[in-house]
Amino acid sequence: MDASINRFVFLLRRNGVRISPSETIDAMQALACAGLADRATVQTVLRSTLIKDAHDIPLFDELFDAFFRLPTADRGSTHGHGHSHHHDGDAEEPERIVFDEDERGMPATDGEHAHGEPVPIRDFFDPERMVTRFNPHQSPNQLSLSAFSQGLILNRNKGLLDQVMKRVTHQIRVRRVKNIAAPGGLNFAEGQFRLDDDLVVNAVEALLDDLQDLEVDETLLRHLAGRIDGIVANLPELLKRYIEREMSLQRGQDAHQEPVRSAYRYRFSESERREMDEIVRRLGRRMRGGRSYRRYVSHRGRIHVAGTLRNSMVYDGIPFNPVLTSQRKERPRIVVICDVSLSVRNTARFMLHLVYSLQSLFEQVRSYVFVSDLVDASQYFEQRSIDEAIAAIFEGGLIDCDADSNYGRALGIFCQRHLSVVTNETTVIVLGDGRGNRNPPNVRALEEIRRRCKQLVWLSPEPRGSWGLGSSDMPLYEPVCHRTEVVRNLKHLGMVAEDLIRRPAAGGRP
Amino acid sequence: MFETIDQTIEQLAAHEYICDRKLATVAFLALKMCKPILIEGPAGVGKTELAKVVAQALDRRLIRLQCYGGLDETRALYEWEYGKQLLYTQILRDKISTFFAATDDLRDAVEQLRRQEDVFFSEHFIVRRPILQAISSDEPVVLLIDEIDRAEEQFEAFLLEVLSDYQVSVPEIGTVRAKWPPYVIITSNNTRDLSDALKRRCLHLSIGYPDERRELEIVRLKVPAISETLAAQVVDVIRRIRSLDLRKAPSISETLDWAQALVLLDAEHLTRDLIEETLQLLVKYDRDSQQVSEHVTWLLSGGNGQDHDHDPHDHDHDHDHDHGHHHHHGPGDHHHHGSGHHHHPQGHRGQEQALRPPLRPAEPDLQDMQTRNLEHTARYFSTYRGRIDGKTGGA
Repeated sequence: MDASINRFVFLLRRNGVRISPSETIDAMQALACAGLADRATVQTVLRSTLIKDAHDIPLFDELFDAFFRLPTADRGSTHGHGHSHHHDGDAEEPERIVFDEDERGMPATDGEHAHGEPVPIRDFFDPERMVTRFNPHQSPNQLSLSAFSQGLILNRNKGLLDQVMKRVTHQIRVRRVKNIAAPGGLNFAEGQFRLDDDLVVNAVEALLDDLQDLEVDETLLRHLAGRIDGIVANLPELLKRYIEREMSLQRGQDAHQEPVRSAYRYRFSESERREMDEIVRRLGRRMRGGRSYRRYVSHRGRIHVAGTLRNSMVYDGIPFNPVLTSQRKERPRIVVICDVSLSVRNTARFMLHLVYSLQSLFEQVRSYVFVSDLVDASQYFEQRSIDEAIAAIFEGGLIDCDADSNYGRALGIFCQRHLSVVTNETTVIVLGDGRGNRNPPNVRALEEIRRRCKQLVWLSPEPRGSWGLGSSDMPLYEPVCHRTEVVRNLKHLGMVAEDLIRRPAAGGRP
Repeated sequence: MFETIDQTIEQLAAHEYICDRKLATVAFLALKMCKPILIEGPAGVGKTELAKVVAQALDRRLIRLQCYGGLDETRALYEWEYGKQLLYTQILRDKISTFFAATDDLRDAVEQLRRQEDVFFSEHFIVRRPILQAISSDEPVVLLIDEIDRAEEQFEAFLLEVLSDYQVSVPEIGTVRAKWPPYVIITSNNTRDLSDALKRRCLHLSIGYPDERRELEIVRLKVPAISETLAAQVVDVIRRIRSLDLRKAPSISETLDWAQALVLLDAEHLTRDLIEETLQLLVKYDRDSQQVSEHVTWLLSGGNGQDHDHDPHDHDHDHDHDHGHHHHHGPGDHHHHGSGHHHHPQGHRGQEQALRPPLRPAEPDLQDMQTRNLEHTARYFSTYRGRIDGKTGGA
């Protein structure tokens, strides 16, 4: 059981869920408490002990289904492969490579199952497996790979081992070749078969090690030797199925991602607005943002009774020296510089939404919009509703939106007129794609900003790959910033916020 | 006591708390493993209620700590009672001078005093705040830490020691260890992320809105005066409202308030007017109530008799689809199909998926785009003309 759980935890971690060892131990304890009576309970137990973030739950459920798959569910699956499933009954077999047999190092053929060791958890879900387990005379390809490796060890047959290793490497090579697409074609390598290299390498290495120091019985050896040929012949097939299974597990991760929503919307729905607010709030926390209601000792404010009494003890209980506390707000100081030119029109709306949220949630936010000129738009956002404010900006009342964007000039204007708003507590966020239409990029202005601010973050709507293309000056701006991120929609923004929280900004040119 | 999961469900139900197996499993585990539960979910789905009911079911005292911005350890853990200390020193002044009368010099006096100083830093002078109360209680208790996300992140750090080892360290006294590990329930509305360290120490449970059947059960239990049909209608309308794009969807507590109100208004069944009149009980934002009003006809289209014609049609359609799909796979699948068929009347599966409000005109609709296009062109020409005139200078 422990091995299965460990493996499952490993799988979750590989899919980006953070699970600590203590949580794994909790999960095992909890399973012992709740029992393995039914699948739903096990799922609940594992979910409550391993998953601590509500947004990881769908991923968990998916992986749980894929990992602890019911054989019956398999057959009735919606893929429409109903027919093949019957002679695919042995497709389950390669799973053993991973889950239990390897850990215990027991050949699958032995009858003395009861070593007092815990029964693998999957067996509770898979009554059919119990049958094959106790029936050693199945067709050879029903043997697990580890039984086969065990056989190799027992056999001490160097030649055979070499043969197997050749086959394994051959297998990898075959898959690799498949990955390479025809020249000129698009490469979709992600979706292709991919062998878990670690597994193979580790397995073979472990096999080699074991081979050196194992003493075994001659008769058992001969008994097993008879089977090995068949298994070696089936090895590619077994590996293939293993990979297919791994892929189906991996797919869980891909399916988790929603189709990318376009940021270009005329209006924002309530849920989007809510989501945006929430993400921005998180971002703000990272930027020393959250308001603090803690009271601090200061010169004015309310009398702090406990403190005053404590102080008065020195003066024989007479409160000579009253202690006053007052509330201090830790203000996030944010300066947003947002490009609203035509080239980013598709995402500018989204970006302005972000600016609006920032402005409404935090106290000291200054917003600037620019195309070629740069103006302070803070008032617009403060006084109007979001739709009005955005409409007003795009209508061109504030700034000529149809001009060509000129980053160098805009940054220059900012440095000349507005640099005083940037202090060493300020976070400066630049929203834009860095396409200055071959105007001078004026990197020095950005450096100046960076020197004065606490943090300089550049959020670009353009994918990183195209930064170097055309008239983009991003490669010049990027090293100056503390952080550069690609943000096209709420989901990206959420990811950036998450990342900022876990990994504070660092790097960039000092 | 919770002996098994099933028994947990029963016991909670006996105290008028209807929960699913998931929740019961976690509640049961928390007791067995002596681990805190961290409950997340929208407001009003019964997070706090769970703590109250668990306390009743286990026959324990409930100690509640409501978190708020600025909550610190002096309000949550313990505080020295300076006033009392001061008072005691004043009153005991005479006693103290006689006490020192026997000493020869200052050195002796200090020595003497040091031997007695723990009198003033003893448990007598500690004000026990909820957490210390829970830890030092002589009998097992249930500790509810409500809405922890309202407190600052620093506050979570104070909790870590309590939650993992059930002990509190008071520097002047030492460590107070719990005789009975309290049953800790922490709730969060998820307005901010809790620290990983805290989460790691807890069992995590996220409660959402209950499914239709369970909600109906809850309404009937909590509002016994309600008629069968009205209850069903209420639950259906609520579910439909939740599927709208609202800022704050009504949760169970709102459902119950509404049901209660409807009973007080002697309503037999829901009508358009009735919904509009009582809307303020359900949605708390202006924009939300606007949206609900827009959709009233659709909201009411579920529970009425005439719509039974509509629903089965939908189901049939589904079945046909299933049928065709499975037919290729041989007779074995027929059985599966059959069981699926039986499922429908109970679980309202089909309806669950079909529940979607009628679409408003798609967000960037065609006409809209056209008008905007026109506007754009007009603006382009106006600026163009402006430049010719030399009124606006382009760079």
